[in-house]
Amino acid sequence: MASLKRSVESDPLAANISNKIYVRSTKSGKVQKIVREVYLRQDIPCSSKLCQRCFTTAPRDASGKLIPFVLSDSPAGTKVFPQGHYLVPDTNAFLTAMDLFEQESAFYDVIVLQIVLEELRNRSLPLYNRLLSLTKSEDKRFYVFFNEFRLETHVPRLDGETVNDRNDRAVRKAVEWYGEHLARSKGKGKDVPAIVMLSNDRDNLKKAKQEGVNACSLADYVKTLKDGEKLLDMIPETQDSDQIKEKRPGDNLYPEYFSMSKMMTGVKNNLLHQGIFNVSPYNYLEGSIRVPAFPKALLILGRENINRAVDGDLVVVEVLPKDQWKEPSTQVIEEDAITKNENPDAEESDDFVSEKERKALQEEVKRTQSKTTEGHAQPTAKVVGVIKRNWRQYVGHIDQSSVSQSANQGKKQDSVFVIPMDKKIPKIRLRTRQVSELLGKRILVTIDAWDRSSRHPSGHFVRSLGELETKAAETEALLLEYDVQYRPFPKTVLDCLPKEGHDWKVPQNLEDPGWKDRQDLRDLLICSIDPIGCQDIDDALHSRPLPNGNFEVGVHIADVSHFVRPGNAMDAEASIRGTTVYLVDKRIDMLPMLLGTDLCSLKPYVERYAFSVIWEMTPSADIVGSRFTKSVIKSREAFSYEQAQLRVDDSSQQDELTTNIRILLDLSKKLKQKRLDAGALSLSSPEVKVQMESETSDPIDVKTKVHLDTMSLVEEFMLLANTSVARRIHEAFPQTAILRRHGAPPKTNFDDLANQLKVKRGLDLSVESSRALADSLDRCVDEKEPFFNTLVRIMATRCMMSAEYFCSGTQSYPEFRHYGLASEIYTHFTSPIRRYADLMAHRQLAAAIEYEAVHPSTRSRGKLEAVCKNINVRHRNAQLAGRASIAYYVGQALRGKATEEDGFVMKIFSNGFVVLVPKFGIESLIRLRDLAETEPQAEFDAENYVLTTGGSRELRVELFQKVRVRVTDQKDETTGKRGVKMELVRTY
Amino acid sequence: MPLDTSTYGLALLRVDGRRWNELRRIHAQIRTQAAADGSSYLEMGHTKVMCVVTGPSEPGPRRGAAGGAAGGGGGAGGQSKDAEVVVNIVIAGFSSVDRKRRGRGDKRTLEMQSTLANTLAATLHTHLFPHSQINISLHVLSQDGSLLAALINAATLACVDAGIPMTDYVTACTAGSTSTYAANDEGADPLLDLNHQEEQELPGLTVATLGDSDRVVALVCESRVQISRLEGMLAVGVDGCKQVREILDQVIKAQGQKMILEGTVDKGTGLNDMDLD
Ligand SMILES: [Zn+2]
Repeated sequence: MASLKRSVESDPLAANISNKIYVRSTKSGKVQKIVREVYLRQDIPCSSKLCQRCFTTAPRDASGKLIPFVLSDSPAGTKVFPQGHYLVPDTNAFLTAMDLFEQESAFYDVIVLQIVLEELRNRSLPLYNRLLSLTKSEDKRFYVFFNEFRLETHVPRLDGETVNDRNDRAVRKAVEWYGEHLARSKGKGKDVPAIVMLSNDRDNLKKAKQEGVNACSLADYVKTLKDGEKLLDMIPETQDSDQIKEKRPGDNLYPEYFSMSKMMTGVKNNLLHQGIFNVSPYNYLEGSIRVPAFPKALLILGRENINRAVDGDLVVVEVLPKDQWKEPSTQVIEEDAITKNENPDAEESDDFVSEKERKALQEEVKRTQSKTTEGHAQPTAKVVGVIKRNWRQYVGHIDQSSVSQSANQGKKQDSVFVIPMDKKIPKIRLRTRQVSELLGKRILVTIDAWDRSSRHPSGHFVRSLGELETKAAETEALLLEYDVQYRPFPKTVLDCLPKEGHDWKVPQNLEDPGWKDRQDLRDLLICSIDPIGCQDIDDALHSRPLPNGNFEVGVHIADVSHFVRPGNAMDAEASIRGTTVYLVDKRIDMLPMLLGTDLCSLKPYVERYAFSVIWEMTPSADIVGSRFTKSVIKSREAFSYEQAQLRVDDSSQQDELTTNIRILLDLSKKLKQKRLDAGALSLSSPEVKVQMESETSDPIDVKTKVHLDTMSLVEEFMLLANTSVARRIHEAFPQTAILRRHGAPPKTNFDDLANQLKVKRGLDLSVESSRALADSLDRCVDEKEPFFNTLVRIMATRCMMSAEYFCSGTQSYPEFRHYGLASEIYTHFTSPIRRYADLMAHRQLAAAIEYEAVHPSTRSRGKLEAVCKNINVRHRNAQLAGRASIAYYVGQALRGKATEEDGFVMKIFSNGFVVLVPKFGIESLIRLRDLAETEPQAEFDAENYVLTTGGSRELRVELFQKVRVRVTDQKDETTGKRGVKMELVRTY
Repeated sequence: MPLDTSTYGLALLRVDGRRWNELRRIHAQIRTQAAADGSSYLEMGHTKVMCVVTGPSEPGPRRGAAGGAAGGGGGAGGQSKDAEVVVNIVIAGFSSVDRKRRGRGDKRTLEMQSTLANTLAATLHTHLFPHSQINISLHVLSQDGSLLAALINAATLACVDAGIPMTDYVTACTAGSTSTYAANDEGADPLLDLNHQEEQELPGLTVATLGDSDRVVALVCESRVQISRLEGMLAVGVDGCKQVREILDQVIKAQGQKMILEGTVDKGTGLNDMDLD
């Protein structure tokens, strides 16, 4: 019988082959034992230019090239090592003070040991990548010595020795070998440089002393350097090794959720509270939740209390004891900045709350406790369970710094972080086999789960949208991010269109069923006034003097409900889309083009079906009577706002049409005054328009929108029509009318703004009613700064609730009120081509005037409520998408340009402030560390909203201050994201 | 976790401490199973395989239609005038880090079977054994990269042991490249004899050559690689095959010597032309 011998023993090379055995546990809890061969060799050079030996055995690559030696033959000396020295830092040194090694003033000739590189890679991929780039820089002279593969420095793990101890021993062994090796092989007459181990681990330092190895703590070493004092700040204290001990895998990082029944009982007994979780846009560790039991939002601070809730989730919270109540943060805490060194692979070894996060929170607590005014403290809470996740698909991109260098070609799965476009969503850990293909792309991902043992949620890749910053990818990203349905209309929808297509005409024969109950208004002098280039014209106007001295005014709205019959495929599609979405370079229609821009559109010179609201008004704009009718009209002209304005202003134009517009303009001013007297708010948001190059549709310039009288003309009559229709349909359908309300904002919403105005300008903001608010906003003026009033209005707008559609049966009459417009009742009627709510109002109005029978779907309250809910969401998303599109194009228009602009401080934190630049309608955060090369010290006076900096840059920044900023676009190195960057040039 | 293949450029060292042109330790034995017609055991690093050859012998009952069977069939069918080479590979569940049971129909295994069968059928003198079958049965005990190469080498050894006439040794090894396809690095070094980690992270190919010549008898590339790098990889791979041949040759000669010393074979029978230095 032949026997199989143990092969290694019979091999003459056996002494030079070692095995590396380690055990790892996987996410799924499996334990894997991995055995790897290690070939030990003696031809790994020391890479010192002093060495006479290693040159002969130095390795060559396939083309015969030698790697040049790195370490200097005359390294710098210090007080302690005048003969010159090479540094050998341990892992801990790089982990705690990587910035130090990147200094230009010191830290040259550094030997990076393989074992240190390995450990660093496991602990922090970003730091590992930074160290690698240091080893590639020629002037820093960092050499990676593969101590584990060199026979003399290979250290087998002893029985009972911990991995950390073995690794420390390996470091000391390498230091020792270098010393001996250089002493033997240096050229004659040269000093042997000292080999100095750098460590912050007390135990390791002690053992080095015992073994006679040169060793220094980082602090001791830095003190001996020339500009040591400055560098000292960058070093943390020496630590005991057990402090930096790794956390065991499998430990749960987050508290367990309550069971559903426990939550339900808790909520019923008012011990727990239920609400939608929202994340602060400036601080990813701060969330808030509005619950009926508290007038103010409950704060949820810190990772542990947030307990895996994601923005938008329906959660259950428990209020914390009063001694833990806090103020909302005055500090900007960005996830990117704080967690950028995390490793997507090594989840287990992370401390749960990272040192930096702890520090950031600590400062918060210090600040709150030093405060004397306890009344500011806000109740805090912690999340104990999630009732419903609001997870959707997220658009983002892979964080370049979380990618390991071996991002490979498609066999091994890598873990990377995806940074969602939405800042309120935490970064998502993604496992993918195609990292290299996905880098630099906009990608769509979903969240799959968020385990108790996982610091970040984990998700999976859905698809790639294309290269970052390409128009197609960014536009699609935006549409996805705001859940806009942008696919082409399906055939079933297109089948609902009139067969005649573009040839459809209003029938000439008055006996045609289309003319039934329609009034012939073709001889009225009707015209439309819209923005330039508007194709989907939903509204047109007319006016004419009546013999009794009053005026007849008509608002004519496209009769969309004639074409979109309730319940058919087109109607279903429109109700899902909810609204047309306007992006800078694109419009995503709610209805097919044929209707939107042709058959329904109230184009000039052709006959169109319309739904008309006609009033009789006195010259002082009091309404004498109103009526509603389906009609046929023929618009005489489609004006742009500008054209109409020119025509009105030009007194030589005395034709009937122009005169009529003048009448309308005059009446609209009176209507507006009445509204303002009733307490309507004139709110503001920064509005800009992006000018496009007409051929390439590349953005070239950004303009602030100019307000024209003709714009308010149209607006006033639309408001009037909406209000009139609202009254009529509510009268006809008290339970099921589709209306729009705008709730009065809770007074507490204005607390901050009121206090800010009081402290900074001595102004009072009264918020008892919309009227009082409107008046006090009018008083917020600064003679020297005309924009101040707009700024306050912008800020006040953000304190408001958002308006919403609702079904009249769900609210009591006083709740119908539209706060912003100061109207008792309101609906949307005037834009049926682009809003589904208006289409519903049309159907209800048609039924109210007995033009047609009520369709069951416009009558069922449950159905209507569902429609309202959907269109509320769609409406909001469309607005956000539009704004995001403008922001993107503003960024693109600024690309490569640097302009100085005036801006205003609209928010202030202890470590930064937000500046709004009205010219571009953008706001951006300027952090302290952006102010100067080294971050200036700062004192933050929270009571007076003043941030005073000293040291590297002396400044005094306060709220509402006008500042000069340089606006540039900037590509973030780590994230590959382009964004607007502001730098403070000076304060005024 | 140790470093990955991306650190090669730092000191021209691979993840296990080898240079670009170094093979792993190869250990081989033949005649490991006395009862078999031919047998071998081969280690390339931690890749460990066993091979047993039975035959040439009467073909067993036909298993299904030609080519549809689980074993890879090479050469002509059992009814023709050439012997059929039937290869069967069993991968032990414990052979890789994750204990994984591979069914009979595992695609990768089937593909390796057919590659092996075709390669061997072209080298073995099958025409000498009409209407018969050569069964080659391989067991994978441990996997650490270059599996197909190890299987080819083990099969060669076992066929030699079985005394089946063949043109020359068929020896195989893998070659790779130090940077990924995506890195598109023109200066990438070719690599010899990939281990598991390198196979996972880098592009690679398996090449088999005949004897001492440059004649390539099998070439399998399953990853994307720039065409410009292929030549270098192939050259390194062919060179590696020659090194492997040397090692296998020594193993066989050593075994022959041992057999003579132990008196397993009579001196002078067919050994006169054998080089015993
Ligand atoms: Zn040397």
